[in-house]
Amino acid sequence: MEKITKDKIECGLEVLKRLQDSKLISHLNSCVHCGLCADSCLYYLATGDERMIPAGKVDMVSAIYRRYCTITGKVFPALVGARELDDTNIREMVDLLYGACTMCGRCVKHCSIGVDIEYVIRTGREMLAKMGYVPESLQATVDAALTSGNNMAIPDEDFLDTIEWMEEELQDELNDPTATIPINQPGKNILYTLNPREPKFFPLSISAMAKIFYAAKESWTLSTGMYDVTNYAYFSSHPGHSRIIAQRMYDELQKMQAKKLVLAECGHGARANRWEGPNYIGREFPETVTSVELIAGYIKSGRIRPDRELNREVVTLHDPCNLVRSGGIVKEQRYILKNTVKNFVEMTPHGMDNFCCGGGGGQLAMSEYNDRRIKIAGIKAEQIKKTGAAIVATPCHNCVDQLSQINVTYRLNVQIKTMAEIVADSLIIEHP
Amino acid sequence: MSTIEIEGKTIEVGGDGFLIEPDIWDKELARLIAKYDGIEELNEKHWAIINIIRDNYEKKGMAPMIRVICKETGLKLREIYQLFPLGPARGACRVAGLPKPDGCV
Repeated sequence: MEKITKDKIECGLEVLKRLQDSKLISHLNSCVHCGLCADSCLYYLATGDERMIPAGKVDMVSAIYRRYCTITGKVFPALVGARELDDTNIREMVDLLYGACTMCGRCVKHCSIGVDIEYVIRTGREMLAKMGYVPESLQATVDAALTSGNNMAIPDEDFLDTIEWMEEELQDELNDPTATIPINQPGKNILYTLNPREPKFFPLSISAMAKIFYAAKESWTLSTGMYDVTNYAYFSSHPGHSRIIAQRMYDELQKMQAKKLVLAECGHGARANRWEGPNYIGREFPETVTSVELIAGYIKSGRIRPDRELNREVVTLHDPCNLVRSGGIVKEQRYILKNTVKNFVEMTPHGMDNFCCGGGGGQLAMSEYNDRRIKIAGIKAEQIKKTGAAIVATPCHNCVDQLSQINVTYRLNVQIKTMAEIVADSLIIEHP
Repeated sequence: MSTIEIEGKTIEVGGDGFLIEPDIWDKELARLIAKYDGIEELNEKHWAIINIIRDNYEKKGMAPMIRVICKETGLKLREIYQLFPLGPARGACRVAGLPKPDGCV
């Protein structure tokens, strides 16, 4: 790790000294150390390591705040447990705030007095990002997005080739040579987005979503200019980077003159565009919805008519934290499953109290903390096992990847699917 | 840095199990990493996939699109997922000795 310098300290402290952020100051100073957050945290539950308790992570940040932003802390730091922003503490911050938190927000819901622990963690990450201490592998993904326009640095030509391929597959499946995956067509109702892992490695969800659009007779398009639904700078918490990425999405929507932005199945992508996006760029996004809401609407209004008999295996649902706990989208995915699968069973706990898959908060990208990520996922593995399900559906590609890995590691012997794949499998297309 | 141990041999890998030095890769290492992942034997289809990934990496410095893997090997998408249960990235690319791709993989 690069040594701390005076300039770096200043950069980090600027974040804490934002006088207008009264929310930060009250949340930094409110923890009563009741300890209730401990049992809400995957890391503490899986390891029993007291360093992992969320309150301790909050204290990492507030101890620095006390040292540099309060009179007592400046004069008698030991008296108030204040900490220096030095190499040792920075190493500890990086390890705990980046390396031991999936930003799942479960601790926030369990906090006895409602401290927004996740917000404090993000602020701590922001300090580290401003000082240049984002873990290398996470920064690489942010950099790929900043320099190439998508987080896997897929060249346009390769992207277009893949879309064309999926279009052919769709035509074969539907037995309709006019079925299309529209691209770069301005003036459509919907600008649809993707997680780059779809075109790169897992394109079945692209043709699945195209099949749903086909069945709903939707007017939609993808765009080469900006299709990446992710914003990894939300995880690194560098405000400048997250702004650039969010602005791109906003600009593309304007350029394509689409009425609506539809976000692919991606927990943090939904959050970073729909809920944080307007904060990042300082203006409101035009109508922005997740594909889960869109599909639920299609079913409700009768635009698509799924047949539950076509999905007969037992299906359980994994709730992505950003979509559910942070975004409040809880009923839509259940409504979809109840209409598209014959046997739907819930995990325990689920919904607002669900456990993270272990891959959130940028963990999936951060090789540095791989062993921890797999270890904490033991809790999710147990949850899945207990349902007896053959398929785990989840509206988040990041969760899909983490669940696919623990499927092998913990020998769950299930299939992991996106919601679009489940819905597409339940559709019979009738040709006139 | 961490290591994976298989058949009495120790392989140095990054935290996520991908080789740190893609240049030290050879067919024996591929066999060992695959075995570590539970793939007992690499068959012709596995090798066809691995060779294309490796070739693409050496020419372009990155993993190929799944499109290229399917096109060049003539294998169906679902077949590739079956051959490498951890998927094209964490499974096939890792066995082919590539560094971990960026993004949600």
